[in-house]
Amino acid sequence: MDNKRKYVIPGDVITTGPFRPEQNVILEGDKIISTTIGISEIYDDSVRVLTLTGKYIPKIDDLVIGKINSHTSLSWELDINSCYVGFLPAQDVFGRDFSAHADELSSKLKTGDLVAARIANFDRTRDPLVTISDRDLGKIDSGVLVKISPSKVPRLIGKKGSMIQMIEMATDAAVTIGQNGWVVISCESPEGLLKAKKAIEMVNEKAHVANLTDQIKDMLQIKDNES
Amino acid sequence: MTSVTVIDLLKKNQILELLEEGKRVDGRAFDEPREIKIEINAIPKANGSARVFLGDTDVLCGVKIQPDRPFPDMGDKGIFMCTAELLPFSHPTVETGPPRDDVIELARVVDRGIRESHMVDVSQLVIEKDKSVVGVFADIVVIDYDGNLFDACSYSATAALLASKTPKWTMVDDTVTLVEGEESQLPTTTIPVSVTMGKIGNHIIVDPNGDEWASMDARVTITSDSDGNICALQKGGSDGFTLEEMHQCGDIAVRVGAKIREIIKESQKGSQ
Repeated sequence: MDNKRKYVIPGDVITTGPFRPEQNVILEGDKIISTTIGISEIYDDSVRVLTLTGKYIPKIDDLVIGKINSHTSLSWELDINSCYVGFLPAQDVFGRDFSAHADELSSKLKTGDLVAARIANFDRTRDPLVTISDRDLGKIDSGVLVKISPSKVPRLIGKKGSMIQMIEMATDAAVTIGQNGWVVISCESPEGLLKAKKAIEMVNEKAHVANLTDQIKDMLQIKDNES
Repeated sequence: MTSVTVIDLLKKNQILELLEEGKRVDGRAFDEPREIKIEINAIPKANGSARVFLGDTDVLCGVKIQPDRPFPDMGDKGIFMCTAELLPFSHPTVETGPPRDDVIELARVVDRGIRESHMVDVSQLVIEKDKSVVGVFADIVVIDYDGNLFDACSYSATAALLASKTPKWTMVDDTVTLVEGEESQLPTTTIPVSVTMGKIGNHIIVDPNGDEWASMDARVTITSDSDGNICALQKGGSDGFTLEEMHQCGDIAVRVGAKIREIIKESQKGSQ
């Protein structure tokens, strides 16, 4: 496994052969070339590069945390920590019989409100369309927003959610992770909240470290013994 | 800044809840400014300069002193002028281009504080009456923004002026001529210190940080001079202050200002 992971820069040939190109790589002839700075990974038959930096680029079906920045009479504009602005149409919240005359958008979502949303449609030519009409989506009423780099989100989730489960178990906190790098932690106890926040910030800082899981475990464990 | 920073409501509520309990988000007391660090003569080629760190807010002021034509109605006085600018790198919402209302206000508030305290003794800055005077220009750039630019810029301008050395000019055959090798301290009379207070709910806090700045309802900047006299005041924000609150703000500004004046004085040691 270890010899398959390496640091790459744009233009680096990662491998040749019958592999499937995935995120941040292109196939040229039989060469698979990185398009970004990151760590290359070769799984069974596919190659991808995990970026080390960068803004969030929306992807359809991603769960994101957005902040209402403004609204028109027909839609809200969401800050989704991206170079694109999230676009939430009023019909999505008010339903089909929405009327621009009768319904006031700020009665449902105000400027500054945080929402959990899903990217409904995006093709890079237009701003991403987001939706909040689904289970677990919608306005976030409590908790604390933590901002991490979007490229560190996979690390925070861990393999099959192992990392975030570990943090949640140890702190009794509920963590909502947006793919855009915004994370909302809610917890009954202030200590648990602080601990979870610290753990998430640690993942953000040390995402490249190999034995991060052990370090986080240590951190949470040590704190457990202290308190 | 172009667009107003939108603070998320969870954070705003948290700030307000903490204030109700008598606490602030960064653990300071209500009348406690952030740590102030002043670096004198940060720009070696300027006549005077100072870089000020107010918590995570970072501003730099350079002073340029040069001969100039006097204003027609003030031929017996030198010129003092203060400008301010935000670097696009200082905050995500800052854009290049002509300064917006809030930046214009920033420059004017800083300028007024220094001008109305009569810190720079402009009557001593005359080369020849009605013909040529010395102009003192303090230009401030904001390098990093984390709330309360008024105070950070004001301290940097004040510290830079105190550290400024002015060259000497004389009139020779009706032309202004530099006297080589003669430099003197810029004539100053007092040290004005501005203290900005924000009002969130019914709480008055000194030196709001970025998050507090984005969630406050009103603000007032009060500048006092070395004798503890209030010489300039600027109110902003949509909410108001009661008379009692204004009295309270005045007291805080003079009291906190006196402590900050000592920090500014201290920063001048070693630079002379």
